[in-house]
This record gives sequence, C-alpha cells and structure tokens, in this order.
Amino acid sequence: MRYFYLDTTSSYLYTAIVENNKIVDEVKKKFGRDLSAECLSEIEDMFNRCNLKPNDIDKIILVNGPGSFTGCRIGITIAKTMAWGLKIPITTISSLEAMALNGDDYSYHIPLIDARRDYVFAGIYDQDNNEVLKGQYLKRETLEIAVSNLGDEYVYITNDDIKIDGKVIGYDPDIIDIVEKYKDKETINPHAIDANYLKLTEAEEKLNA
Amino acid sequence: MKDVYILGIESSCDETSCSIVKNGVEELATVISSQIDIHKNYGGVVPEIASREHVKNITIVIEECLEQANMTMDQIDAIAVTYGPGLIGSLLIGLEAAKTLSFIYDKPLVPVHHIAGHIYANNLIKPLTFPLLALVISGGHTELVYMKDHLYFEKLGGTLDDAVGECYDKVARVVGIPYPGGPSIDKLAALGKHEYKLPIPLNDDSYNFSFSGLKSAVINLAHNEEQRGNKINKENLATSFQDVVVEIISKKTEKAIVEKDIKNFVMAGGVAANRALRAKLEEVCKQHNIDYTFPAIRYCTDNAAMIAAAGYYYYKQGRISDKKVNAKSNDKLN
Repeated sequence: MRYFYLDTTSSYLYTAIVENNKIVDEVKKKFGRDLSAECLSEIEDMFNRCNLKPNDIDKIILVNGPGSFTGCRIGITIAKTMAWGLKIPITTISSLEAMALNGDDYSYHIPLIDARRDYVFAGIYDQDNNEVLKGQYLKRETLEIAVSNLGDEYVYITNDDIKIDGKVIGYDPDIIDIVEKYKDKETINPHAIDANYLKLTEAEEKLNA
Repeated sequence: MKDVYILGIESSCDETSCSIVKNGVEELATVISSQIDIHKNYGGVVPEIASREHVKNITIVIEECLEQANMTMDQIDAIAVTYGPGLIGSLLIGLEAAKTLSFIYDKPLVPVHHIAGHIYANNLIKPLTFPLLALVISGGHTELVYMKDHLYFEKLGGTLDDAVGECYDKVARVVGIPYPGGPSIDKLAALGKHEYKLPIPLNDDSYNFSFSGLKSAVINLAHNEEQRGNKINKENLATSFQDVVVEIISKKTEKAIVEKDIKNFVMAGGVAANRALRAKLEEVCKQHNIDYTFPAIRYCTDNAAMIAAAGYYYYKQGRISDKKVNAKSNDKLN
C-alpha cells in the first residue's frame, strides 16, 4: 500500500509518500502566508522526484484541523479533490492527535495550537494516544488548571510561540508513526470531508449569543 | 478545427460554481451552489462562513457539472479558474481545487480575472466584436472598460468610492428591505415617482463615478423625513434614487461610446440585471446605431460559465500557469 500524507493545518507544510512503513519522500517546510501558492507545487515536485503519478497512490491520510482556518482548507481542498478525482479512499485525523504522537518519554502529551486572544486548541493524551482531555478550543488558563493535576510527567508539543509554564518541545511529525497508527481508520466519502475547526466563526458566535 | 472544452471554476465570493463551455461560446453545463440564504442572516457576506461553505461544496459542484454535461475529465482541454479579485479565503478553494485537477489529470491551468469573466458572459449570448465598451457594474465594481480586441482591457474610469451595487443595497436597507436589496429597489422604482430631490453624483467630464455622496444623501433624506414625522414613500424614494443612478451611468457610457468610436457595447456584473438601466442603455445604443449585448440574467451574478468562456481565449493565447499561481484579493484587469 502506498499512502499520501498531507497536513497544512499550521504554517508548515508536512507531506509525504509512505510505502511499506518507509518514507519514499517527504516535505517538512515552513511557509506561513505563502502556503497557498507553494503547497501544490511542492506536492507535484515530490511526486516527480519519486517518479510517481497521483494515481499510484492507494490511500490519502489527511490532517483536517484544528489549526489555521485557511491552512486547513488548503490541504482539505487538495486532498478531497484528489480522493474524488482519483477515486481513492481517504481518511482524516485530528492535528492534535497527530501532534500527540510526539513526546515519547512523557506520560502525558499535550498538543498545543495558538488560537489567539489567550485561547488555544489543545488536548491531553496518554502514551497510547488515548484522550485524557478531549481535543478542544479552550482558554489557556483552563488548560493550565487541567494540566496542574498531571504531576510532572507531561510535555507540551507545539509549533507556535506560546508562553506557557512547563516543558515544551517543538512539533516534528514522525509521519511513519502517524500513518502506521491511522492507516486503517475508516474511510470517508470525499464530498463529506470538511475541516475540524473546533470553533464557530465569530459571526455565528455573535448570532448565537 | 478541433473543439476546445474548458472546465471553469468560480468561488470568488459566495457562489461555488463549475461549468463546461465549448469553444468559448457554447455552455454545456453549469452548476451553481449559492450561499445567499446563509449570509442573509448576517446582513451581508461573512468571508469566513463563505470559505467554509466553499470547502463543503466544491467537489460536489464539479461532479454534478460533469454529470450534467455527460462528460469525463479526459475530454476537458484545460481548467480555467478565477484567481481574483475577490474574497481571498473564498478564491483559494476554487484555485486549490483547480490546481489539483490540473495536477491529477495533467491538464493546463488557466487563471482568469473575475471581471474578464463577467465581460465574457456576453460571449455566451453573442460573440464579442471590437472596439467594445464594457460597463461592469456589481456590488464590488463600477467600471467602464475599453477593449480593442480579445483580452485587451483598458480601464477608462471607475468608481472613486462605493460600487453602485453597494449603494443599491445600502438604500434598500434605509427603506427597510433586507440584504441583498438591490433587485427589490429596481422593482419598487418601477412603481414610484421621482419626487425626492437627490444630487447627480460626480456630474463631470471624466469617466469616473462616485456613489458615497448619493448614498449619504438618501440616508440623510430618510433621516430628516423621519425627524419631521413624515413617512418615507419607498416607491418614490426608489424611483428618485434609481433615476439619478441611471442618468449618470448612461451619460458617461454614452460619452465613452462617442469618444472611443465604439462598435459594440456590453454590460456585465450583478447590476447588469437592472431593468431601468438596461432600457436606458438600449436606447443609447440604438441612438448611436451600435451593436449591444446584455448578459442573460443567470449570467449577471457570479458563475463559472463566464470564467470558462473567458478561459477559452486565455488558453488560446497560451496564458497558462504553473501550480504556484496565488489568489489575489485585488488585481488589475490586464
């Protein structure tokens, strides 16, 4: 089986082609605002380097958020269009779950994404990646209170510049690990693939208030 | 000559659309998913909501379009897509989908300017002839564009502040008609009398327009009447407002027709559906004995058929892009 992995939910592009538990090729690169211009070009170059065509892929594993709203949508649009056009299975995983696979030596892994104005997207996961605190949009303080019950055996995993007390490591996805863990996850109809925003738009929040 | 089939994608604002057009003139299928019922709740288009809806709809719209045309992607020659101007988050969805289709099917990618698309909506009614004058009027644009040939655009003038469609929506709000109120003003205006005195905005020798002063005048008038305890006559206000708009637009359009020796006049954009404006400009064209085309009502609002029609000429001229093309919220028509 040959897998195409794609994560554009942060300012980084993480993409890879994985086959037989090996990376055939991968891109891990920070883009920020240029992501929309560069993303598909990087993917195309990666396929060309491997001498592979899009229809050589057997399954797509897509990280669909939470994270940057625009970032999420770029990857999702590419992945769902590929899955629909090539008629290949696709599955989605949470960016928080993918991030939680970093941080081996600690009992609790806390992926952390800046959601601005003192809010974060975060969850708490144990060493087997089970949710201890469900991935959600919450105040940083609220997270810190939850974390204070964990003792010293925890680590934050983040790509963002967030000031927080405790051990913090930078996120560097082990794509083989992620693909191995989620490759058999249930597939989804490409039309139904959407972002896992974990947050309503401000306009909806105001309307509901 | 071999027929050329262009698949067009448009997502610059709140419509997700896909269309297949043959040789730039013949529409084979168009699917439009409109979000208007969602944005109505907010009194206007909410960009983040629009982007979220585009992601949900994009592949469905493409699939339905191919089914309606009874075609497969193998039969498509190139993929045309709106790259700008528009809402950046919305544009990105259509653009990324188009880039992906171009990648997986190995088809040329043709980025199209949204306003070029609106002008080429007329090509689906009757092939454009030149020299041509296009009046582009919508919620975001009010421009007079001169074309001496295909894809040659020279902006003669445009609005210095609000777009005419924006002004219509604001006036509608003043008289209590919910968003989008422009089309309702056109209907009301047919029923009233020109009884309210409003200024003719930027009544000068330029090709430019200004609508913010007129908008303020309407707001002030409504406010003053209210202060005096008078009820505003909606029909009469609509007529008074629309008369002034039609007068200034037709005056400057006529000036361009004469000075630029125009042989063909076209209208483009959402406000091109306005009946009073159509009637007046038809009269002007007949007076000067020139050819004219008004887009079908379904082509006035955003759609991918116009993008595929314009895309055909871009493709013919070899204006093909690599995958690095980015969406632009603002970009000059050239």
